[in-house]
Amino acid sequence: MSRQVDGVARMRTLQVVVLIVFGVIALRVAYLQLIDRRYADIARGNTLRHEVQYPSRGEVFDRHGEFLVQSRECYDLMVVYRDLNPDGFDTLRFCGVTGIDSGILTRRLADARMHSRTPHMVMGYMSKEDKLRFDECNFDGFYTIYRTVRQYPRKVGGNLLGYVGEVNPDMIKRYPSYRAGEYVGMSGVESAYEEELRGKKGVKISEVDAHGTIQQSYENGGFDSLPVPGRSIVCTIDAELQLFAEELMAGKVGAVVAIEPSTGEILVMVSSPTYDPDELVGRERGNHYMELLRNKRNPLFNRSVSARYPPGSTFKLVQGLIGLEEGVLHPGQRYVCHEGYQVGRQRVKCHSHDSPLDLRFAVATSCNAYFCYVFRNILENPKYGGSQNGFEVWKEYVRSFGFGRKLDSDFLGEGNGYIPDKEFYDKRYRKSWNALTLLSLSIGQGELGCTPLQMANLAAIVANRGYYYIPHIVRSVEGQDSLDRRFYERHYTKVSPKHFEPIVQGMWQGVHEAGGTSGVAFLPGLDVCGKTGTAQNPHGQDHSTFLSFAPKDNPRIAISVYVENGGFGASMAAPIASLIEEQYLTDTVKRPWLVDMIKQKRIYYPVYDK
Amino acid sequence: MKNNGIGRLFEGIDGWTVLLYAVIVCLGFVFITSASYDDSGAGIFSMSHFYMKQLMWMGIAAGVAIVVLLIDASFYHRWAYFFYIAGIAALLATLMFGREVNGAKAWFELGPIRVQPVEFVKIATALALARVMSTGSFSIDRTGDLFKVGVVLIVPLFIIILQNDTGSGLVLASLLFVLYREGINKWLFIPVLVTIVLFIFSFLFTPMTLLVMLILICTLSEAMMNRQWRSRVIYLASLALGTLLLYFTMFAVVPGRLSLYGCLLIVTLLSLVVVAVYAFRANLRNIYLIMGLFFVSLALIPTTDYIFNSVLKTHQQNRILSFLGIVSDPLGTDYNVNQAKIAIGSGGFFGKGFMNGTQIKYGFVPEKHTDFIFCTAGEEWGFVGSMTVLALFCALIFRLMRMGERQGEPFGRIYCYSVAAFMLFHLLVNIGMTVGLMPVMGIPLPFVSYGGSSLVAFTIMLFIAIRLDATTRTHIARL
Repeated sequence: MSRQVDGVARMRTLQVVVLIVFGVIALRVAYLQLIDRRYADIARGNTLRHEVQYPSRGEVFDRHGEFLVQSRECYDLMVVYRDLNPDGFDTLRFCGVTGIDSGILTRRLADARMHSRTPHMVMGYMSKEDKLRFDECNFDGFYTIYRTVRQYPRKVGGNLLGYVGEVNPDMIKRYPSYRAGEYVGMSGVESAYEEELRGKKGVKISEVDAHGTIQQSYENGGFDSLPVPGRSIVCTIDAELQLFAEELMAGKVGAVVAIEPSTGEILVMVSSPTYDPDELVGRERGNHYMELLRNKRNPLFNRSVSARYPPGSTFKLVQGLIGLEEGVLHPGQRYVCHEGYQVGRQRVKCHSHDSPLDLRFAVATSCNAYFCYVFRNILENPKYGGSQNGFEVWKEYVRSFGFGRKLDSDFLGEGNGYIPDKEFYDKRYRKSWNALTLLSLSIGQGELGCTPLQMANLAAIVANRGYYYIPHIVRSVEGQDSLDRRFYERHYTKVSPKHFEPIVQGMWQGVHEAGGTSGVAFLPGLDVCGKTGTAQNPHGQDHSTFLSFAPKDNPRIAISVYVENGGFGASMAAPIASLIEEQYLTDTVKRPWLVDMIKQKRIYYPVYDK
Repeated sequence: MKNNGIGRLFEGIDGWTVLLYAVIVCLGFVFITSASYDDSGAGIFSMSHFYMKQLMWMGIAAGVAIVVLLIDASFYHRWAYFFYIAGIAALLATLMFGREVNGAKAWFELGPIRVQPVEFVKIATALALARVMSTGSFSIDRTGDLFKVGVVLIVPLFIIILQNDTGSGLVLASLLFVLYREGINKWLFIPVLVTIVLFIFSFLFTPMTLLVMLILICTLSEAMMNRQWRSRVIYLASLALGTLLLYFTMFAVVPGRLSLYGCLLIVTLLSLVVVAVYAFRANLRNIYLIMGLFFVSLALIPTTDYIFNSVLKTHQQNRILSFLGIVSDPLGTDYNVNQAKIAIGSGGFFGKGFMNGTQIKYGFVPEKHTDFIFCTAGEEWGFVGSMTVLALFCALIFRLMRMGERQGEPFGRIYCYSVAAFMLFHLLVNIGMTVGLMPVMGIPLPFVSYGGSSLVAFTIMLFIAIRLDATTRTHIARL
């Protein structure tokens, strides 16, 4: 009997045990399913893969609608090792068809074998021809992915157009919309108009299995979006002229910038040495890039907007204009020049020419002494009480010509140039300095530094008789009516337009009359105006520079050429500028002998090539 | 008597149990279908799909069930030992000629199908146990009889562990459930529980903490039993004081020779002499029992280390360590359990619906149609689905216990309880492991997990219980 009772009690205990076991499991399940909501999110993260669909980058045309930059289709060759048939795989034939090196192929396949279900890239930048050939052969396990890369059909303007590279971590931090592995414009137009060229990424959401293999699209693609291709851009560049200018600059270090004065559009922008932008695309990109980096002449440095050169005699134009505006000079003013300007022991040399001479002829023959007088008169103007104050006034005039500051163009990496200020001289000369101390400024030497773009802008200002449009490289953007407003506004200098005529006249005389330094730039019937510059520098031969516009009335092109260590302005820079003008204005060059001579001229650069 | 033949066959059969069985098997089929459906391969009705194979096995199971019901109840009683010996022989045969799957040499290959003899050995062991314990002269309190029981259980357990199929082996340990019902001394359960608790705790705590806990538990339980508190608290305080004294003395004499742990151990062991004298004087016998427990526990702590390091395989060690939260390796050992939890957890209240479970469908959950089949229930049918499965099993186990209780003969009762114990253990371990309550052990969910030999074996097991029960009821009815 007691046994029976004990049995019932024990049955009850066991029932409680069973209930406890089920209760614990049920509570645990309830916790997992009802209370802890974490798991639903993890499950979604497990199965959804967001795949970015890259848009094709916008194309770039030159001013005549010719392709400067194209998006070329290319393919990545991928492999899923699991689908590969190792017995039937003919390595030799595969290498023959795709052009891949068999050693690389073996290595890539070994990598792919580690995760045999996921796609691995075997080779990038496969051309369309290779891809078509590959498609015919039907290799199991291999497939191709469509991509676009940049292509530069004219092979011009390396620094101008810039290149495209993978975003770096720094950039991703600043612009979170970029993801690692994406391509972004790194310099030149590619970088300046990144926003327009880039386009909008699309996304494709798919469900993946535990091995990362895509199973199906999520919600039938309801949350997917298509990529929006980048907008195309029409450049102000004249591709033909750009190529011609680059050829002329071959073997020389320097820059050429040509501007259409009536619009501020940049026609030519050469930084020499330049490089073929196509070299920075594709499989060999890394090697080429390193080559460019190692090149001592620094081809990746865009001299046309960043370099800081002494403007030399071309700066005399500015000097004369300021003098006229300040009333310390009138066009008929004559000064004597006995092969130089001497005050006490200080002497600024000059070459031999007729003397005395007026402003026009001083510009034409580039007389140093004349502009020393002018500079002193500006600074020592009694109305400012002391040449230090006069210098401040002078400086403001110079700045109004776009020197010493960025021109605010659409080109990134624009340099400031350099105009020294009062503090600079106070420090250097312990506050005791005057116009004579700064005399070298009068002929564009000394501490002055200008970018080739600023000098070309000066040419445009003179051509326009007193104003400029901000130089820019883009003419229009697809789907956009106009550019930024600032490119349509006239920017006047502090010198009123009426004072420009004598200077223009002087520039015209420099080309057309005996005694002028710019005779080589003469083009029949085109009324070329020009000003040579020969800038002394501590690194060997003088820099050769030339500033010019043509025709004299209604000018269509303003140009600045700067050739480092090129000697006299007339010997190197002037012919280059003249040839470019001739090509642009007449579409032909009637001086093939000059072209050959210039093209073949190679300058030795001890600074770079040592 | 009313009708002969087939009608007689179903006389007295517990309809509820059969219904529960049928519902569970059908649910299992639904789960397997969505876990293994793969729209890429062959057609829906192709035999290459797991669910079509399961359908076939369900048919076979139904046939087997009828056969089991057709056999007279006395047959099982008579042939119990024969089955047991045959089972042992089969186990030994697998050990020698079997095929190794997932590291366990537990499978026989008969042409296209693979059979796991362990599934059938469970039935044989249950029958043999029932037979041993239902002998007229059997008394569970007699040591010799208990020894027989021990032999019946230990022999197959040992062979199964040799097969490297620890999970299935531990199932036999669940028969302690039955022994409890049959009136085994409660005190025998204490060492078992203590062993399990210590085994787990020895991984989680330092020896010092364990020793302090052990001393506290022993003293307090003794105090509770004898309802004497003051002297026990004084005892504890003097232990602490003695330990500190010894420690500082030793520190002054030979620094670094004796750790605090060593001091406590020495002082405690010395104090036990005093305690023994006290117990003898005060005539408190249960103090000896506690002391015995204390010694056994002390001995067990190093033993767990030994078992863990020498007996268990690396993957078993890892499972235990990751279960106890000592190591974490989301992509390695923990991967299966984590993915299972994610699948179940993401189901929410109503689940994602049939065939819509992404975690299942895309292969994040491993073994989704066999050991981790519960994930399908959790993910696709949500809280509602998992509770339904749990409730069905709970009902089945209660039903089996009830069937056991109404048996006239101990044989039937013991057998029914054995089946209930097996079910409970399988359920606890299988579902427990998918929800992270238990370390991972490869044992299936009865009737639900995919697998022919498992389904057929569990069907036989259950229907023998039903047959025994039916016979008793018709017998009683006839009386």
